[in-house]
Amino acid sequence: MATQELTSKDSNQQMGITTDGSQFLTFQLGEELYGVDILRVQEIKGYTAVTRIPNTPAHIKGVLNLRGTIVPIVELRTKFGMPTIEYTMFTVIVVVVVKEKIMGLVVDAVSDVLDIDKKDIQPAPQFGAQVDVSFLNGIGKAGDKLVALLDMDRLLTDGDMQEATKAAA
Amino acid sequence: MSTDLSHFKDAFFEESQEHLTTIEEGLLQLEQRPGDIDLLNRIFRGAHSIKGNSGMFGFTAVSQFTHKMESVLDQLRSSQMVVTVAITDLLLQSLDCLKTLIDCARTGAAPDEAHVAALGGRLEACQGTPAPGQATAVPAADERSLPLGTHRFTISWAPPRYLFQRGLDPAQFLKELAGLGTVTHLALDAGRLPVLTELDPEQCYLGWTLELETGKDLKVIDAVFDFVREDSTLTIVDNPVETHPTAAVSDVAKPLGEILVETGVVSQSQLNQALSQQKKVGEILVEQKVATPEQISEALKKQSEGAVPAKKAETPSIRVDTVKIDRLINLVGELVITQSMLSDLGSRFEMSQLPVLLERVAQLERNTREIQERVMGIRMVPIGNAFSRFPRLVRDLSGKAGKKIQLILSGEETELDKTVIESIGDPLTHLVRNSADHGLEPPDERLAAGKPEQGIIRLNAFHEGGSICITVEDDGRGLNRDKILAKGIKQGLIAESDKLSDEQIWMLIFKPGFSTAEKVTDVSGRGVGMDVVKRNIEGLGGTVSIKTVTGKGTTFTLKLPLTLAIIEGMTVRVGQDTYIVPLLSILESIQPKREMLKSIVGKGELVNVRGTYLPLMRLYDVFRLEPELSDPTKAILLILETEGERVAVMVDEILGQQQVVIKSMEQNFRKIEGVAGATILGDGTVGFILDVRGLLNIARQGTAKAA
Repeated sequence: MATQELTSKDSNQQMGITTDGSQFLTFQLGEELYGVDILRVQEIKGYTAVTRIPNTPAHIKGVLNLRGTIVPIVELRTKFGMPTIEYTMFTVIVVVVVKEKIMGLVVDAVSDVLDIDKKDIQPAPQFGAQVDVSFLNGIGKAGDKLVALLDMDRLLTDGDMQEATKAAA
Repeated sequence: MSTDLSHFKDAFFEESQEHLTTIEEGLLQLEQRPGDIDLLNRIFRGAHSIKGNSGMFGFTAVSQFTHKMESVLDQLRSSQMVVTVAITDLLLQSLDCLKTLIDCARTGAAPDEAHVAALGGRLEACQGTPAPGQATAVPAADERSLPLGTHRFTISWAPPRYLFQRGLDPAQFLKELAGLGTVTHLALDAGRLPVLTELDPEQCYLGWTLELETGKDLKVIDAVFDFVREDSTLTIVDNPVETHPTAAVSDVAKPLGEILVETGVVSQSQLNQALSQQKKVGEILVEQKVATPEQISEALKKQSEGAVPAKKAETPSIRVDTVKIDRLINLVGELVITQSMLSDLGSRFEMSQLPVLLERVAQLERNTREIQERVMGIRMVPIGNAFSRFPRLVRDLSGKAGKKIQLILSGEETELDKTVIESIGDPLTHLVRNSADHGLEPPDERLAAGKPEQGIIRLNAFHEGGSICITVEDDGRGLNRDKILAKGIKQGLIAESDKLSDEQIWMLIFKPGFSTAEKVTDVSGRGVGMDVVKRNIEGLGGTVSIKTVTGKGTTFTLKLPLTLAIIEGMTVRVGQDTYIVPLLSILESIQPKREMLKSIVGKGELVNVRGTYLPLMRLYDVFRLEPELSDPTKAILLILETEGERVAVMVDEILGQQQVVIKSMEQNFRKIEGVAGATILGDGTVGFILDVRGLLNIARQGTAKAA
């Protein structure tokens, strides 16, 4: 909650107005900027070591103790087929809520919260992004920045949660 | 405001459940001690509370029905009637009906009016019956035999607006009505009240609906309203279900059947036969072409559906002994004191005070541990709650199966976690049904075998180490080894050449679809159930074992963890990773010598532990980890047991033993094969608890692939 209040205040100062668009928390993976719907974000925390889960796909980094709750952590770079890098002091875990489940995403660094107008969101192009476009809701334009907007439901329920039998076999 | 009310309603439903249980237990005991006034009083009080409370919340159907039960109970209490099997039967049936009514009230579903009315009628009918006798199974035709001339009127009356201006008082009318008989129900209709600003205090806006039981007839009631009839809205309904036109014919309040027997028209057996032909309401309605069979089955479906969602609507809550709470409050008080002592010390800490600090931290630790234990204790409830349903179940079963069964309960005070209690209800029911249906022989067979006619089912609960044992024991025929073996081979569960120990054979009955019963009864024998029992118990982290002696009986033993939230575990290390092995499944740990190891091509490795070859499983293989040690003679082997199967699991090192709090993996992720759950270790990181069964499964799939 605190995160949301804070960010909405910030963006109001930045933009001066509220629009009928949505707010997105943007973060970096390599050179590219990605965004998630701010209402999906529960909190942002610095990277801490996780416990790996046996027999799970590589992008499932492990689990973390988040104030007594066990939260799975997904390495977005691996998920998107990008090379892994050394974690730095900017590496953070974005904790999101997807279909009432809590999950953490490891990203290179978080940047701003952006207001993106509906009219500034275009469908994802078929080529160009380093990402499998099926995980994208669209490409948002905010000022001179282009943001790939992630479809959380698709991204984190697709396969990951149902892979139990496959992984075990 | 409305939320407040719903809160009270929840409390009402919860309390009603308790009263229902009290009544049920009471009724069952009543059969053994028919003359026990204390017992009757207790039952009566239960019914009375339900009646009063349900009336308060406007659940008229419930309160009316309970009232009828209460009247019967009252007559029993005042010795106007004598307790017979028939009456307890009827009361138990009514109790079931009442349960359904209350469930309906909770879910808002429509109750089966016809059934309620029929039972209500029978309750009223049996009241008239003086003392003992065959008030038994009151037939439909006899439902009308209520004491002469009793009517139940439903009167709704909205007086004219000008009532007060004529100097009339509505209360007078109500009093007058009450003078004619007993008002069983009175409800105010304030629906016509205008908003306050438009309210004229000299006008009467109110209306009433009341139910009157009286010996007087319609004319007398009608006459009360003579003065105001013209402008009133008045309806008087002579309730058709409970009015009894034939009552005028029979001047005694005896059931028809009884009179016929007395006068020698029919014999008792003829009467019973006739009674057994008595049809269900639905059938009668269909025959009279009032309803189609489809409508009836639709309604029946609704009736059965009504009961299902009710369970979901229940909010889980727990009743805790105040003593437990008081102790906890004391402990929290101590914790606060320790904490303030610590912060006091922290604000002006010098190195010289280090011993004091350590001492206080130790105290904090003691406090925390004790609070943890007490809080867990709150969840502990006596298992008697789960046992309480069985006397009724066994009574019904013995009736259905035509066997005489005595149920002996013991260890009801044994405490265990509420969630465990909730989950063992169904498995236990299956086991008891199984014992009653398959285990115990019919009376003639028992007598032939030189056993007493009455079979015994014994339910016992007791603590054993860190777990709780529940046994279901019968003195029946015992399991038939050859029959089970033959059936197992026939169903392809085992090969003829397989050499099985007795224990392994008994375990066959837990396979899905397995049943040796020659005929399927509606109680059991369909081959579903036992596998569910096993699955449920194992889901709780428990085990099932069987002991049986042919001709002497069978004992099922359920071994369950005391609580689902905390287990005793052994922490082990494999490379960089820490895992927790449930202590219950560990038999021993060894460091093998070279000559103990054997490897078989395609079947994996084996280890010889004192003459028994056990499969060797390398945990790092199964979980694909990087181990520190890959030589078994340098590593540690844990000998684990699950469901009578043993396996040696290889780990790098044993770190220690500790209690771990189980956290769900499924809450935010999904089930992982080989992992029973997660926990938070001392350093705040997550550790996984091994699921021995799952490990075996993975290993099997692995060897299957390799072979």
